[in-house]
Amino acid sequence: MENRIGPVEVNRSIDVYVRALIGIERGSEKLPDTFRRLPKAGPLIIFVRNENSQSEFLGMMIGYLSWPREVQLVTVATPTVEKELAEVNRDSVAGLVFCSVNPPAWLEKRVRLGSGIVLVPLAETAP
Amino acid sequence: MILLGLLAAIFTILTAGLGVALSIFARTGRLNLIECTCLGWLLGSGIVSLLLWVCGTFCSGLALQTIVTIACLALGIVGWRARQHVTARFVLPSPANVTEWLLTILVLGEIAILFFVSLKHTLGWDGLLNWEIKARYAFLNGGVIPQSYYSSGGRAFSHPEYPLGIPFTELWLYLWMGEPHQFWVKIIFPLFYAAGALLLALLTARLSGKRWVGLLIASLLPFVPSISASPGGIVVGYVDVPISVFYLAALGYLLCWSANNALCSIVAFAACAAFLPWIKSEGVLLWFVLALLGLTMSLSKHRVGPFLVSIAPGLLIILGWRLYLKLVLIFPHSDFSHPTFSLLRGNFGRLADIGSILLAELGETVHWSIFWLLVAVAVVYLFASRKLEKILLAMAVLLPIAFYSLIYLFSTWPSYTAHMTSSVSRLLLHVMPAGWLAIGLALTQPKDQNRHL
Repeated sequence: MENRIGPVEVNRSIDVYVRALIGIERGSEKLPDTFRRLPKAGPLIIFVRNENSQSEFLGMMIGYLSWPREVQLVTVATPTVEKELAEVNRDSVAGLVFCSVNPPAWLEKRVRLGSGIVLVPLAETAP
Repeated sequence: MILLGLLAAIFTILTAGLGVALSIFARTGRLNLIECTCLGWLLGSGIVSLLLWVCGTFCSGLALQTIVTIACLALGIVGWRARQHVTARFVLPSPANVTEWLLTILVLGEIAILFFVSLKHTLGWDGLLNWEIKARYAFLNGGVIPQSYYSSGGRAFSHPEYPLGIPFTELWLYLWMGEPHQFWVKIIFPLFYAAGALLLALLTARLSGKRWVGLLIASLLPFVPSISASPGGIVVGYVDVPISVFYLAALGYLLCWSANNALCSIVAFAACAAFLPWIKSEGVLLWFVLALLGLTMSLSKHRVGPFLVSIAPGLLIILGWRLYLKLVLIFPHSDFSHPTFSLLRGNFGRLADIGSILLAELGETVHWSIFWLLVAVAVVYLFASRKLEKILLAMAVLLPIAFYSLIYLFSTWPSYTAHMTSSVSRLLLHVMPAGWLAIGLALTQPKDQNRHL
């Protein structure tokens, strides 16, 4: 990914990718801040589209940025995730992230993190 | 403060590596400053990353940084004292005529351009998610990769089983800068390029006896598009260029040892070859190729004893890392199956596809220009020379390509052709500088040997 020299920023590579993928500035700060507000226990389940390199890359980037929280990447073959969601024990999960994948209509409390990425917290978030 | 930290990190790496390089070459009485500095960077990065890994098992944070810094300075002092002990003098080789001056200026100009281009580019996909991620997580944990990273199935995409040579060199910069600075960390990749280009010039000149040939070959190096552009080039922060430089150096010193039987050559070979498996998993294959070729050469020259000793450090690193992975890694690696004869028989039909993908990649001018055509001609010349060293050099280019292609017989991807297409260009980069060395030495064959063609 080309850019001009500078600005000489700490998270230069992450920020450029996040901006290109989901259109938000300073993603290296904003996304981890959002994930920190989720309940401390429980993994983050990340849904990505099969054979969609942008979706897969975004999912991995979310995995990278959500450290030290445990993550689970779920690759889905269809635009909806009904079948995969049915297999998730939602009581033990902190949140669901949909990367270029449509969350089911019945799933409430959606938080749009950027273009093509939706977070659904599954328990009360920290203040 | 960040820049001071960056300079301190590079200084300590160079001090450790220079110390070892001076110890290796002091007895020759003549220390080539460029050679020692280039080797200093290669060996220094290997030593610092190894020290961080080993010392990280019993300490972390400031204590870890202090111990590794003291070890680096101690190695520097040992090297300096070794030089003083035998009163070896430093030599800075300078160009002898206009051609050499022009080629030198060209090589230095290319290095400067690649520094500029590298700083203009972000880390690539693998550079960030396979390599830098380890440096960052270790930095956030006081310089030690947390156990939970190895057991995190969700982060298997970042290949926790990959060795730590480059991530921990990046970590060393992070520790000194005080933050995981993704802009400045990219500086290590053009440094590897600079070391590789200058060593290519030196080794080609030394083995061919013609300095202008070495400089010409080094100046042609960046004209292969893959070295500077994606996929795998230095600007994206992958480890493929660094491992290619270690391979070039190890091969070059092995050939020097064949020619001069000097202790310094075999020790330099041992040091460079040992770090191959520490840079990338495929380094084990490169190390194996060098061990095979070195054994052939040492058998024919009745020097088996010193050679077997020289491969011991590499073997130690391979076994040490395997043992460590067994202790910490919870989930298995999934890109390749464990090779068995029954699997080989079952997947034998893949060979035709693998061969055609390899040929298509070698002929891909967008990645390689006419480089592999030049290599093919050089390999024919080297075989035709009927000299053991030159045949071994040709084999050092051909064998890794053959092994790298054959590993896709064991690919576990749903589509092994997609697996190969996505990664083979990066693997071919590993032998690219060695290919230039082959071209350089083929260029300088005496006429009486050419008549056999």
